[in-house]
Amino acid sequence: MILTGLINGIIMGGILSLPVLGVAVVYGITGIPNFAIGLIGVFGGFVTWYFLSYNLVLALIVGVGVCFPIGYFLQKLLLTPISNKGGDAILFFVITISLGFVFEGLTRAIFPRPSISIALPYLGSFTVGGVTVEVIKLLALVFALSTLTAIRLLEIHTRPGQSWQATSRNLKLAKLVGVNTDRVYAVAHGIGCSLACIGAIFWGSLYNLNVLSGWELGFLGFIIAVVGGIGNIWGGMLSALLMGLVLSFSGYFLDGNWQSVLLYAIVITVLIVSPRGILGSERAL
Amino acid sequence: MKEHYKHILTLVVLALPSLFVLWGGYLQEISGHVLLFMIQGYVAWFLLYKAGQPFFGYSVTMSLGAYGTIVLTEIYHWPILVSVATGSLLSCVVGVGIFLSTCRARGFYVGMASFLLAVLFPKVVDALKPITGGRNGLYFDGIQAVVDPNTYYVILVICTLVIVGFLFWLMTTRTGQILTLIAENDELAQTVGINTMKYKVLAYGIMGLLSGFGGALYVNYTGFISSVDIEVFTTIYIYFIPLLGGSSLCYGPLLGTLIVILLPDVFSGVERYQRILFGLIFVLVLVFLPKGVGPTLERYAKRLTQGLRRGPATAG
Repeated sequence: MILTGLINGIIMGGILSLPVLGVAVVYGITGIPNFAIGLIGVFGGFVTWYFLSYNLVLALIVGVGVCFPIGYFLQKLLLTPISNKGGDAILFFVITISLGFVFEGLTRAIFPRPSISIALPYLGSFTVGGVTVEVIKLLALVFALSTLTAIRLLEIHTRPGQSWQATSRNLKLAKLVGVNTDRVYAVAHGIGCSLACIGAIFWGSLYNLNVLSGWELGFLGFIIAVVGGIGNIWGGMLSALLMGLVLSFSGYFLDGNWQSVLLYAIVITVLIVSPRGILGSERAL
Repeated sequence: MKEHYKHILTLVVLALPSLFVLWGGYLQEISGHVLLFMIQGYVAWFLLYKAGQPFFGYSVTMSLGAYGTIVLTEIYHWPILVSVATGSLLSCVVGVGIFLSTCRARGFYVGMASFLLAVLFPKVVDALKPITGGRNGLYFDGIQAVVDPNTYYVILVICTLVIVGFLFWLMTTRTGQILTLIAENDELAQTVGINTMKYKVLAYGIMGLLSGFGGALYVNYTGFISSVDIEVFTTIYIYFIPLLGGSSLCYGPLLGTLIVILLPDVFSGVERYQRILFGLIFVLVLVFLPKGVGPTLERYAKRLTQGLRRGPATAG
């Protein structure tokens, strides 16, 4: 039972880490808690689904590709000007929630179906310790881990990555040494939204996506990020794995509703006891 | 116009919906909803902008009052007024409890803890389905089993007036002034020897009590509540009420409630695009009218009156 719970928990953690990536990248670099990111990701998921009948690769490129400019221009035209005028976290909270309404409405208005399932090719399954694992679920975990590694390598070895790090750690200093911080913010937001879209595509292939899924994904991503230390992408990953284990083991004695309650209760407790999360919120990746 | 007169004028406007009893029907029904959310809007206005406390759990305190009333009356057969009082008190205790448990955190994290509580609460209601009815909800005759709908509507108008009037009065007292000082500069308030903790507990207690009482009025008016009614969007709408109307003005929540509650009705003809328009209006108001709609209207009204005064003078 322990081995089964452990394997299921890690796989579940990989799935839960998907909505965290976008939230953590955006908050880690820009310092803006974007609650619309789940809705933007789901919008991209619907775009992918729409083009899926033409070609899988084309659908993925268009879906993820649409989300990048959305995030880029939202940051450049709306969020950066507000930030420059001294907007605080609460203002960003209400503005991004309002933007969430807009993207939920757009998904509702543009696409013919309110609920979809993204049919990716079946990649098979394998058995470990008596547990059957679908390859797509494992792929979610591999994707999350490789994205984290790629971001870390980018930060260390490339100039754009170093400017991300400089901007997130000290905005004034980054500006002083000639970093185009507005561009860094916009690109980070674009990448965050694209990652949210990939998360939504995985989610849509494992479960279902509907016009409201973006809220659930966004809140889930946010709470997991908070437990890990919002903005700390490794903390987010660790937290997703821990939450996956909690959900897996609690599944033996709690039903679905109580599992959600337990998840949120843990997050609220972490916020109360240690507001900066497991690895600490440091506004840097 | 002096603040004192603005308070009186706001209360007079708030009393006007009682006239809808004469016509009944849709106007009475929708204005009842406006009044119920106005109570929550004024509570949010008081705690957030007058006492400076970042709190997002209004749907929790409201639903504690509502569920407290309905469960105690229907399942445990308590008298309705005792259930209303107990539900409101429970909400008060929980409001203070939320504050005491989150006061270690600062600013945004306090807000987030209460916001996540608002996300969590409908899930708790779903999990407690045998008692709360979950998404299917609970039906309830409540006070309307004793008094007719028109009388209850008038009671609702009077309760709204009393709650809003109480909050206006509170802000003119020494306690209100201290809360304003804490909102403006918490550290300064502590430096001059004010026990800020005591006043914050008081503010959360008042918020919980009034919000819970508002919830009890809500469930008596609608006769039904389910976890769908208390989803996180409810807390978001309540939070938006003073923000959109104008948090600095005493009639800001009144305007805000009209915007938040009546907009969906205005856009009912274009239901497919309702959410887009709703969200866009919120974004535009927040970006271009950061102080809310009220102060802008006031500025235009001032210009208009100045223009009218100058007009006859120039003509003379």
